[in-house]
Amino acid sequence: MPRIPHTSPQTLLLFSTLLDEPQRWRYGYDLSRETSLASGTLYPILMRLTEQKLLETGWEPSDEPGRPPRHLYRLTAEGAALAEQRLAAKAARPRTLGPAIQARTA
Amino acid sequence: MSVVGAVRESAVRRIAYAVLAAAVRGRGERGGDWGEAVLAEFAETTGDREAVRWAAGGLRAVWHERRARTRELPRIVRIRRRAVLITLIAVVAGLAVNRFVLTVGYQESGSMEPTYLVADRYVVDLAAFRLTGVQRGDVVEFTMPDTDRLVVKRVIGLPGDTVDCRDGRVWLNGAPLDEPYLSADPESARTEGCTATTVESHRLYLLGDHRLVSMDSRQYGAVDEDAVHGRVLLRLTAGGV
Repeated sequence: MPRIPHTSPQTLLLFSTLLDEPQRWRYGYDLSRETSLASGTLYPILMRLTEQKLLETGWEPSDEPGRPPRHLYRLTAEGAALAEQRLAAKAARPRTLGPAIQARTA
Repeated sequence: MSVVGAVRESAVRRIAYAVLAAAVRGRGERGGDWGEAVLAEFAETTGDREAVRWAAGGLRAVWHERRARTRELPRIVRIRRRAVLITLIAVVAGLAVNRFVLTVGYQESGSMEPTYLVADRYVVDLAAFRLTGVQRGDVVEFTMPDTDRLVVKRVIGLPGDTVDCRDGRVWLNGAPLDEPYLSADPESARTEGCTATTVESHRLYLLGDHRLVSMDSRQYGAVDEDAVHGRVLLRLTAGGV
């Protein structure tokens, strides 16, 4: 059976965090803190979602000299719909949920 | 908090940032978008631990980004790159095996006839014999004392053994040794010229199979085990004739 994409616990965790405020642009560091995903886990997921147009990205211009612009992320409409759908599908089968997602989706 | 300010905090943070920046940018001014994104967030981390974790994860992200970029290259370029990489690995692995595991030797004298003829090639085990040790009857390749020549002889006596020859035969620990590997011609198989020797520890008493012509422990005594280079496993080609 082929794997359904975007159903890993880490991706669901990110979805649920992004869905808290779907309109707001988020920083990578803040997403890492809120999901407690390491940067090495988080960024590959962000890359994948962006590549599939589920996530939009932007650069926040630097307001201080010496500070590089920061990258920003937000779910696209398509991404938000998919995120809702994936989380709902997971909630229907709570056995396989990790405690972190259970806490967030409860 | 500027990046410079954050990075100035401690040596650990500075190193973590430098490593990540090097991975992202290489020698260029600017790396890939995702690498730069991870790098820009570095200033948000607090403390050494978090900084190192962030940088380590960043390396993984950079690796992902690189791989994604490689996938977009034309097929022929990817195949060529892979071929070059595989060839390189194969050459390095081959050299390492040849140097440390198995190699091929060349018999340049007739001192081991009839087992190994002049111009025979043979396979030498360079590693496993160090684990298993050598036994009586094994053929070893070693550096001949006072020379830098690699030669091949048979192990007759191990440390503690007493070796002597009488009536043209080798006597090991007081009993005549059965040596089926010697030539059928009694003239070349006849063993003469040894003095009774008790082999010291870490030494080996070595004789060539062609007793008539071989220069071996009868002349230079038992050989230090450090001089042993490998154990001969098999004869590779029929040389000579």
